[in-house]
Amino acid sequence: MKLLIVEDEPKTGHSLQQGLGEAGFAVELAADGTTGERLALEGDHDLLILDVMLPGRDGWQILHSLRQAGRDTPVLFLTARDAVEDRVRGLELGADDYLVKPFAFAELLARVRTLLRRGQTTATETLLQAADLELDLLRRRVRRGGRRIDLTPQEFALLELLLRRQGEVLPKSLIAAEVWDMHFDSGTNVVEVAIRRLRTKIDDDFAPPLIHTVRGLGYVLDVRAAP
Amino acid sequence: MRPLSLGARLSLLFAACSAAVSLLAGALFNQASEAHFAELDYQQLQGELTVLRNLLDGVADVADLPDRLPAVQEELAQHPELALRIAGGNGRNWFDSLPSRHEPAAYRSLEVPLDPRHADGARLTLHLNIAHHRHFLDGMQRLIWLGVGLSALATALLGAWGVRRSLRPLRQMGEVAAGISASSLTTRLEAERQPAELAELAQAFNAMLARLEDAFARLSAFSGDIAHELRTPLSNLLTQTQVILARPRALETYRETLHSNLEELQRLAQMVADMLLLAKADHGLLLPSREPLELGAELDALLDYFAPLAEEAGVRLERRGEARLAADRSMLRRALSNLLDNALRFTPAGGTIRLEVASTAGGLRLEVGNSGPAIPAGQLPRLFDRFYRADPARREGGAEHAGLGLALTRSIVRTHGGEIRCESREGWTRFILEFPA
Repeated sequence: MKLLIVEDEPKTGHSLQQGLGEAGFAVELAADGTTGERLALEGDHDLLILDVMLPGRDGWQILHSLRQAGRDTPVLFLTARDAVEDRVRGLELGADDYLVKPFAFAELLARVRTLLRRGQTTATETLLQAADLELDLLRRRVRRGGRRIDLTPQEFALLELLLRRQGEVLPKSLIAAEVWDMHFDSGTNVVEVAIRRLRTKIDDDFAPPLIHTVRGLGYVLDVRAAP
Repeated sequence: MRPLSLGARLSLLFAACSAAVSLLAGALFNQASEAHFAELDYQQLQGELTVLRNLLDGVADVADLPDRLPAVQEELAQHPELALRIAGGNGRNWFDSLPSRHEPAAYRSLEVPLDPRHADGARLTLHLNIAHHRHFLDGMQRLIWLGVGLSALATALLGAWGVRRSLRPLRQMGEVAAGISASSLTTRLEAERQPAELAELAQAFNAMLARLEDAFARLSAFSGDIAHELRTPLSNLLTQTQVILARPRALETYRETLHSNLEELQRLAQMVADMLLLAKADHGLLLPSREPLELGAELDALLDYFAPLAEEAGVRLERRGEARLAADRSMLRRALSNLLDNALRFTPAGGTIRLEVASTAGGLRLEVGNSGPAIPAGQLPRLFDRFYRADPARREGGAEHAGLGLALTRSIVRTHGGEIRCESREGWTRFILEFPA
């Protein structure tokens, strides 16, 4: 997957490049709008991450040229201002998502993956699996090691999300948004508690543990070799 | 064009009024004097006429006249203001003592038959010189005009002075207002010493100053609080980072430090985001995209979200009532989740949190109540202040709770045209949200 980042703040740009590179993406970085626009039009990126305020051409202009050229590459905007008109303008011009600075890198990574997945038509799965854990979407049942586990509807939704995005670190804010439709950083530890309770049911009596906490970033469901 | 000053307007009005009144009085007096003089003249003429008729009694022809003329002339000599003309029935002049050159206006005349029994016989015309009356009346008219002018001038001046004096409190208000700056917001007008008409204005002015003072004090405190709230985590970050970098350490120590820094930074980012949201609300930039919401279902969704937390804390969650409200779903959830989060932190194990919603006459009422120790009455009004924490000892702790939650909730409620208040008594605390229909 090839990404292009257009960001004039050098520290932010390099951190993003490093972070996304280590997450397995091929990342190109442009430090000004003019270069960014050229690279965007010449290259065949799977996703663009554009800062709104840029020297040369600003983020809006790059998006505009891109859409004029008939490219429908998904675009994620980074903006320092959470102004309503910015949001409206971005949506009108065809931005796919936006993040307000300061944002958490885990959040950015999760959004990037969501956008990249958007185009792919995944076959409607009815059974999600990880190691010996099975989640049956049709019968709404969960089994591990052949034993049936009773989950509340919320726990079921949470586990479904973790299974669908196996191996991805999901920040708390994304989990709250996806499972409970709470689109804000509430600052509560609801997600923490919910994960802990789910883990008690899924992992306590079984090995290996599947749900992992990535400190400071979020949670991930992953099949790792037992230590 | 700039309108005339109040003083000039009132002065002109006063002057015009007094001029009109004195003019009217003068005109009436003039009229009455003239009528009075006419009456007097008529009486004098009548009297003289009787005397002269007696003197001329029996005169039927011009030939009879010379005999009587000396007595007539003697009589006329005694009354120099009188002149007499005697004319025959055919209009021929028999006698005329009126000077040939005279002003007709200076005489009042009375013409009668010499003998009342012969109306077509000789006629007497008596002229009375009324020049002195005319002089008197002319003089009086001059006096009247003078009076009109003087009274108009006097009232104009008096009016100007009175208006100036009456408006002095306004000028003082202006001076006070001009002198007010951020550092002198404690200044007040003496409302009770103002005239009744201005007392209300003075009170409104004082109330405005009080509101400004309060808002300014809050703003100052807010700025101070921001500095304080930012300084603590920044100082933590600085110290920790410098100490760790001072000498080589185990890899695990670096990792720990970075994690600790990360938590601190996340807190800072959250605080900045919250403050920006508050600032937006303050500037009227927080625009809710309203949609009709079934509050029953909305509240249930929130309770679902908080269920794991409540279960851990041993707190029961309840919801009562149904209502519809046009609101921004995300904002409303945020506002209510702050209240629920707050309630959860203060409800002891075994307690209850109850969400209650009901339509009222004026709109809609939503309550978030929880059992637990009552909040002291003195703290209630300050609960919604930014960075306010009921317990100052929690200031540095309470990781993600910077004391902005309730302020944010209030901003969101107000953005929706509603109001929020808190009541706390007898082991039950409730936040009451009221939205207009």
